[in-house]
Amino acid sequence: MKCGNGIEARQVDEIFINIDPIQAGGRLTADAMKAVVAYGDGYSVCDNCRKPNRLDFISKPPIAEFHKDVARWLNMDAVRTVPGARRGFQAVAQTYVKKGDPVLLTTLSHYTEFLAVEEAGGVAREIPATEQKLVTPDATAEKIEAVTKEFGRAPVLAFIDHVDYQYGNMHDVAGIAKVAHQYDVPLVYNGAYTVGILPVDGKASGADFVVGSGHKSMAAPAPSGVLAVTAEREKEVFRTTSIIGDVTKRKFGIKEPEMMGCTLMGVTLVGMMASFPHVKERVKRFDRELANHKIVMDALLSIEGTTCLSEYPRKHTMTRIDTIKSFDTVAESHKKRGYYLQSALEEKGITGVIPGATKVWKFNTYGMTTKQAEHVGRSFVEIARENGIAVKG
Amino acid sequence: MSKRSVDMIFQAMYSLTDLRVLLRETAPSHAFDAGQRAQAQRLLENLERQVGSLKQEMLK
Repeated sequence: MKCGNGIEARQVDEIFINIDPIQAGGRLTADAMKAVVAYGDGYSVCDNCRKPNRLDFISKPPIAEFHKDVARWLNMDAVRTVPGARRGFQAVAQTYVKKGDPVLLTTLSHYTEFLAVEEAGGVAREIPATEQKLVTPDATAEKIEAVTKEFGRAPVLAFIDHVDYQYGNMHDVAGIAKVAHQYDVPLVYNGAYTVGILPVDGKASGADFVVGSGHKSMAAPAPSGVLAVTAEREKEVFRTTSIIGDVTKRKFGIKEPEMMGCTLMGVTLVGMMASFPHVKERVKRFDRELANHKIVMDALLSIEGTTCLSEYPRKHTMTRIDTIKSFDTVAESHKKRGYYLQSALEEKGITGVIPGATKVWKFNTYGMTTKQAEHVGRSFVEIARENGIAVKG
Repeated sequence: MSKRSVDMIFQAMYSLTDLRVLLRETAPSHAFDAGQRAQAQRLLENLERQVGSLKQEMLK
């Protein structure tokens, strides 16, 4: 079925259980889908834009109130919506990083944090993760000392992912922030996999900035996200424009250069707003998500040779798994080669595993019902048995 | 054309959206339990009523 010239209607989540690692938390709620229907037109949220003509001041629909609600919910002082978490990183980096400045990242940082640093002219320095793939306060202190020795000054900024994209491991952000602040290094909390998924308290974590992803974790259309800051940082990142045209003498009021004026318009913003009440509730039920995840994990780990590469027991629903000694042993001789696993899963109504992946891959169970989690777990075990792989118990 | 027709269009699309979400929640089998069946029935009845109103409004 087509929904436009050459555009197939996407029915992935209606037909399958989707375990794609990055898609789970961004699936729209019913209210977001309804908002998308009503606000699809380009400037749809701007019907009632009045002076001072900035997105976060619009009260109908209640965009201004939404900004305040999100700030309260994250226990931060001010929020702006941004076109994806990466644009939040970019705004912070552009504000604090100058050419040649050292910036702390980690060996598990997302590439968009690196790009934000690069664009600002900064120099990346990574805090190494431990063998268990965890970033620790001790390693942070060591790296800051090393950077200070190398550059003659401390890093100007630190980007720390509370839950990293590679392993879905949860890092001690509060401990790391405490260390960073001892050296006067402001900290960006990357909540791409936490804001909208589990409870986040920005101030308790010691963050100067909290960045969230709407399309990854807040049940919102792409590209969307939030950048929340403390009162201390608000005037810096959200400073207003001061430029004046030499011929026209024009000024641009309270527009914010780092936001390029208004940020999210139309479906992205209204979708995020419509999902927000549901998102606020769902983060309180993260324990249920972990319980469903455990159903799938237990099934996978019952398959001989399968190991969990993420920290275990799991603290997040996105997990990196190693099936080199289980599913991959079949790929060598299977007529579909490495594609047999994806194909077998799809026959059982499951999608989201990278086509051809049978060695190391990630999955996410966020948002599944218990019934669906049981189906996924059972399906992995059945596929293993059908292919002669031993299953414990 | 009346405001009522426009409202009915949106309400019908919203009923369909709720049905769509029901399909997502029950994928891949779409086997409904008693509660889901009752919800589907209510939504489909709403949809029929909404389409009926639309016929009256748009084709009169």
